[in-house]
Amino acid sequence: MDKKSFILKLQNDLELETEINETSILKDLDEWDSMTEMVLIGLVNEEFSVRLNHDDIEKISTVDSLIEIIGFDKFD
Amino acid sequence: MKVLLTGATSGIGFETLKQLVNNGCFVYAIGRDFSKIELFLKENRSSIETYEFDLAIVDNIENIFSKLDLDNGKLDAMIHCAGIEETTPLIQSTPEKLDHMFNINVFSGIELLRSFSKKKYCNDGASVVFLSSVMGILGQPGKIGYCASKAAVLGVVKSSALELARRKIRVNAVLPGIVNTPMTKLLFESINESQIDKIKEMHPLGFGEVEDVVPTILFLISDKARWITGQSFVIDGGYSVH
Repeated sequence: MDKKSFILKLQNDLELETEINETSILKDLDEWDSMTEMVLIGLVNEEFSVRLNHDDIEKISTVDSLIEIIGFDKFD
Repeated sequence: MKVLLTGATSGIGFETLKQLVNNGCFVYAIGRDFSKIELFLKENRSSIETYEFDLAIVDNIENIFSKLDLDNGKLDAMIHCAGIEETTPLIQSTPEKLDHMFNINVFSGIELLRSFSKKKYCNDGASVVFLSSVMGILGQPGKIGYCASKAAVLGVVKSSALELARRKIRVNAVLPGIVNTPMTKLLFESINESQIDKIKEMHPLGFGEVEDVVPTILFLISDKARWITGQSFVIDGGYSVH
């Protein structure tokens, strides 16, 4: 999956009402809560077979930081 | 006593296997990867027969029974511990995912029971225990598939208990809360310490150990429970009392 498609999927699965890009800070989003975290963990696990743990979630700031945690090599 | 046990290689299933063997039972153990308990199997070779099988392939379950060596007597009990636990929010609970969850947690159990209860495989008065979960009577965000499947198990238990009572075959369910198993270890890795503490606070007696659950299972397959059928036994350190 390329970065652009991932961001679109993220926006869709998290049902975000505002558009996001690489620099958007995920935890600042109005929709961010424990359920959003859960959806994010599920999405990343399903798409990349990467299981985000609590430390990973803590480290996430921007969309780019999430991509870094997942691993750049996982993207086209 | 001859017992068929699923999910025998880890968690509550493995502890059940250990205690059954210690109590002098002969166990037909079903699991996916017996290398995990190789040492225990070596030490107890005369009390256990293993069958490597993936219960997700529901259509092949009847074949397991035709392979059992029952020359010295039919089965007296079946304990179905195999199951999967997943945190999947509603938005990601696709039919495909739910199908997988129900295949292992519900349909495999019904198919096992359908074969087990045939006269050629089990004695009259046999006992069956299904592992449900306290989530079968409660709810939790992100657990739609899991809660639904564990609730379905309770329906299976009640209905089959009535249907099989004419042969005095008893069917019951055990509903554990959070006990320390490889499955719960994975769950705790995805949440932070304050969330873990919060969950712990909801368990008046703290989190359980597999050893806290197995005695009830052994009681239910014993003759001491001969007048108990179609029931659900919650073992959750007080979690569901709230």
